[in-house]
Amino acid sequence: MTTPTKTATRRGALKTLAGGAAAASLPLWARYTHAQSAEPIRIGFQQHRTGIGAAYGRWYGRATEAAVGLINANGGITGRPIEIIAEDDGTDPKRGAEVVEKFANQHGCDVGFGTLFSHVVMGSAPRAGELKLPYFVVSEGTHVSSGMLNRYTLQPGITDVRSQVIAMAPFITDTLGKKVTMIFPDYGFGYDHRDALGPAIEAQGGEVLAKIAIPPSETSFTKYFPKIPRDTEVLYHVMVGPAVLTFVKELGEFFGGRGPELFGFIDSLEAVAIDSPGLDFLEGSHFWEGMCRHQQADESAHETFYREAVGVNARGASVNDPADVSTYGHMFGCWETLHVIKAGMETAGYRGPQDRAALIEAVEAITDMPHSREHPQGAKRFNGKTHQVFGHQYISQVQNGTLTRVHTTAIEDSVYPDMVDYTTQAF
Amino acid sequence: MFRTVSVALILMFFAGAASAHASEQGFVLLLPTDVYIAAGGATVALTVVLLAVLPRRVAGALFRPLPCATWLPRPHPVLGLLAAGVLMWLVWRGVSGPRDPMLNPLSLSIWVVFWIALVSLQGLIGDLWRWINPWSGMAALVARITGRGAPMRYPRILGHWPGVASFLAFASFLLADPAPADPARLAQAVIVYWAFHMVGVLLFGGPWLLRAEGITLLMRSYARMGLLGRARGGLALGLPGWQVLARPMPSLGLAVLMLILLGSGSFDGLNETFLWMGWLGLNPLEFPGRSAVIGPNLLGLLLTNLGLIAVFTACLWWGARLAGDGSGISLLIRRYAPTLLPIALAYHIAHYLTSFLLDGQYVLAWLSETLGAGHVHVTAGFLNSPGPVRLIWMTQAGVVVAGHVIALLLAHAIAVRAGQSARRAALAQAPLALFMVAYTVFGLWLLATPRGA
Repeated sequence: MTTPTKTATRRGALKTLAGGAAAASLPLWARYTHAQSAEPIRIGFQQHRTGIGAAYGRWYGRATEAAVGLINANGGITGRPIEIIAEDDGTDPKRGAEVVEKFANQHGCDVGFGTLFSHVVMGSAPRAGELKLPYFVVSEGTHVSSGMLNRYTLQPGITDVRSQVIAMAPFITDTLGKKVTMIFPDYGFGYDHRDALGPAIEAQGGEVLAKIAIPPSETSFTKYFPKIPRDTEVLYHVMVGPAVLTFVKELGEFFGGRGPELFGFIDSLEAVAIDSPGLDFLEGSHFWEGMCRHQQADESAHETFYREAVGVNARGASVNDPADVSTYGHMFGCWETLHVIKAGMETAGYRGPQDRAALIEAVEAITDMPHSREHPQGAKRFNGKTHQVFGHQYISQVQNGTLTRVHTTAIEDSVYPDMVDYTTQAF
Repeated sequence: MFRTVSVALILMFFAGAASAHASEQGFVLLLPTDVYIAAGGATVALTVVLLAVLPRRVAGALFRPLPCATWLPRPHPVLGLLAAGVLMWLVWRGVSGPRDPMLNPLSLSIWVVFWIALVSLQGLIGDLWRWINPWSGMAALVARITGRGAPMRYPRILGHWPGVASFLAFASFLLADPAPADPARLAQAVIVYWAFHMVGVLLFGGPWLLRAEGITLLMRSYARMGLLGRARGGLALGLPGWQVLARPMPSLGLAVLMLILLGSGSFDGLNETFLWMGWLGLNPLEFPGRSAVIGPNLLGLLLTNLGLIAVFTACLWWGARLAGDGSGISLLIRRYAPTLLPIALAYHIAHYLTSFLLDGQYVLAWLSETLGAGHVHVTAGFLNSPGPVRLIWMTQAGVVVAGHVIALLLAHAIAVRAGQSARRAALAQAPLALFMVAYTVFGLWLLATPRGA
């Protein structure tokens, strides 16, 4: 990190000098604006502090704090420190829009950042677009690349569900089996998986035998299991919510260890210890992980650095309390997004809100991001047209209570055709 | 595990405030809560049976206080002034401090220190509120400066009803406002509420505080549940609830407020459940946020309270008919409403226990940072493991059951004191007892059922 930081600081200092020379010939208002550039870069952090996203919000906060600490210790952005202004959105779409408004009108933020829950992103992004506030979400939703949002909304630090699912399909059909049954919650999140996985499995010569939708309020699942076709080779499950532990337990009891292969998404068990009593049935099953929660034998120095900076141990839990398991599969998105903001601002020569469009153009121009301290999850490729990043996905198997990585997908495995070109939209 | 429990126990002496963790509920759902709920209901039912067969004076004797001091400490008005000063400082921090409610001393003080911890301690210990009432000091100061009492006389006809309205306004903010923890929003609410009642106190004097200010009424009601209280000019100690028997019967307005304490607390639990969200047609896994349920929550708060008042009244009316008691319904409500205080208090403590353990850490973290004692790591680890989760749930259930048992004992003692024989008292209470057994099951179910908000 030392070398790039020095470069960044030097570059920042040069820009400031150049700006100073130019300032003498500027009109008064512009000189005033320039004088403000000694001020911090204000990043509005839309945090799920209360409401259903609070567990994620806590860890998104820690990853953010660590990344900002690192960036500031190394000279900030163009020589200016980052100041995080955290506002609680209550995991509430309407409040999300209000928070975005506060960032733009009240707190004088340069950008907004950090939203996870899809419905909050959907509720907030239109307002960010109207206020022309660059809005960097860390949400996993396919809504950004779908074209539903606007030019001011970007997702450069975390991959989306559609790309994750289609990257999984070849591993599922090649390694676990070609006859797949899906169990998913009966609403949007479940449908994203249902709609993306079916075609991807079929493209690999596999077959989805049954799609079992479970009502979101269900708390007992045994009655659904007889619907699983007998010749199912892989059971793909993406249950979420408080009943997920019950789901796993009842599934294990139903099959008694002789059932199909299990493939799940770590979203179901984020912030839950995988070796908790009652989850024993997961031994041997496979999970998608955004980032490997348990330290792997070949973990990169970048990831080890990230783990230490955020304060997470080898089991993905807090170093202060080993029972406090992090949302490891998602929170790296905050760290990486902040580094993208930094890179974008430095490229754009960002001085203040008047350069917001230039910032977006600079981020849109980003393509490859190498595996580095800034991108500890792995190398990524940003698609400036769709405002969505693509990256490696990890498949882990539970072996002796530890998530052990057994497969890494290529970036190409997760790419799908563009659904929008935001760069054609006016600012 | 031991460490976690120790941390939890240490925290119980401080205070805690926000939403429950999904994984904690996951572990609760794995517990055999059906069995625990049945056991809780059976315990309360057994108490009913015991009371019917035991000598009639037993319940009353349990609540006899022990004198522990011949003097009574009196709060100095300066304390009230100090409390008002602290409140004003907190409001200022609400406007100017961090936007994050978990870092802002106003949000932490109002929802964790006051609403969760202080209200619970008031009910467990006794009248702590009179020492820190943020209106009384100002009122005393103004009286001293002007050398006169209040310029206007509080209209007696209003009784405690303005206080009922005042508490309902507070409960509506707590349960239906989209962002009650938002520091700036909370600062506005606090200053408006404080100023409104300050004007009332300056115009009408002390009676305004004792009849029209909802928080003071709530606190004075819960003080009746405290171990410590006033008896014969001194300080006395007794089983929680002894002061309910020692104090005069409340007015109808105050009695209704006591019912509303329970009703609002119950709705506080109910509005988070999958069941309630199902009624509203909402997906609990994708809760649209508090903004989307302002109307339903206001209506739910109102209907829950009206429903509780109706069922309670019906039980009293039915019991009086069974026992051939000719007392009017208003007198019956005034007589028995205080017996619901232990249930309301127990549910308050149980409902907020998890928030207290989690958000109390933010209070400690804030204190530690402010005093320069270093960083306190806030952990939710104890909610991610089955052992601590079971311990927390059993504690909550134990508190709820104990609250109901005390409520039954109090109701029995009051019936006996009203001159009824043990048999008649038992008859008169049969519907009320049935109500309390059912409410035990309901309260425990609220703690066990999955929540989505």
